[in-house]
Amino acid sequence: MTVWLHIVALGLLASLGGALWRVWRGPSQADRMMAAQLVGTGGVGVMVVLAALQDWGLLVVAFALALLAGLAAVGFVQAQTPDGAGDPEETAPSRPWKDALAATQAEKKP
Amino acid sequence: MTLALDLALCVLILGVALASVAGGGVFRAVIFFITYGLFVAMAWARLGALDVALAEAAIGAGLTGVLLLAALGRLRRMNATSPPHRTGLHLPAAFAGAALACALGWAWFALPAPSPPDLGPVMPQSGVGNRVTAVLLNFRAWDTLLESIVLLAALLGVWMLAQDKDWTAPLGPRYHAQAGGVLASFGRLLPPVGLAFGVYLVWAGADSTGGAFQGGTVLAAVGLVALMSNVMRPPRVSQGVLRAALVLGPAVFLCAGLLATASGGAFLSLSPALAKPVILTIEVALTISIAVTLALLVIGASGDGEYAP
Repeated sequence: MTVWLHIVALGLLASLGGALWRVWRGPSQADRMMAAQLVGTGGVGVMVVLAALQDWGLLVVAFALALLAGLAAVGFVQAQTPDGAGDPEETAPSRPWKDALAATQAEKKP
Repeated sequence: MTLALDLALCVLILGVALASVAGGGVFRAVIFFITYGLFVAMAWARLGALDVALAEAAIGAGLTGVLLLAALGRLRRMNATSPPHRTGLHLPAAFAGAALACALGWAWFALPAPSPPDLGPVMPQSGVGNRVTAVLLNFRAWDTLLESIVLLAALLGVWMLAQDKDWTAPLGPRYHAQAGGVLASFGRLLPPVGLAFGVYLVWAGADSTGGAFQGGTVLAAVGLVALMSNVMRPPRVSQGVLRAALVLGPAVFLCAGLLATASGGAFLSLSPALAKPVILTIEVALTISIAVTLALLVIGASGDGEYAP
């Protein structure tokens, strides 16, 4: 069982390595940010596996990560707005997903 | 197997550290730095230092990222250009860093391994079950008291950047968000969970993982989300409640220390019978101060937040 948990942890770390490659390569800022979010998610997974391996108290750390990893994304989208304190939805209100999909496809065609 | 896991973690930490200082692009460096905090938290967890891992996760994931990304966005709006990239400029710094690392490595191998003090016999007198909390709030309370004052001094330093005309204005940038949008919904969804979790961390810190700093950081992070999504109004420097919250922790800590002197003990000493309630009172007061101070440090001084370069 312990061996399996180690293998799972190693696999998760390898997937984080993949996410790091995306942070390095980009090319857009959103790509890098989403990769960082992926590292956050994978980090929660690693913490849970480590909790099973050594100490269940680590679940608290995993929960803290899961709760707060999204904060960087909030900081990122706010920094992208013109005054750095807004919400991208104010300039481009969210639409029902079908409309949004049709709009993206229409943009792609020409 | 354990060795493979630790080696993989070490390789990732070193790789991320190198990637965040190598190559151009400030944004990429910032993102690598955010992930670096995450991997370091994993390393602390692997070493069994749960409280440190928790603090690193909360600070690294919660606050540093928001702070650095906001600073980067501000630099871009100011049209600040990065100084021309010259490789030769970094070489002395790189050599100094490498020399320091070598010296530390030499000291690690050359000096005798320190034996950690045996806390076992004195733990029953400390009033709490978590050794880290016992050291922070009982055995080495002096350090913790001074650290809580350092945080306050840092905030005052940031506030001094405000211009006179902005002094009474709300703190931080004018956050706004689309009503009912994703950001506003996130700002209503996360804080209740984070509030419960932060309070749990403070309460559980007496006997297991957690503590005033970790709990306060989580509370600061969720308060920040509420501020950024415009769910909560930004406070003003002139608010009495705000000022009281900032000094509450150090004040309660000092009073507890002075009361110990008045009742015949040494400054900041705790009698074993009263240790637990006193420690819990100090921790609650410290948590409130730490949470408010950290959140206000991240949003910055009064005014519209844009300073003339």
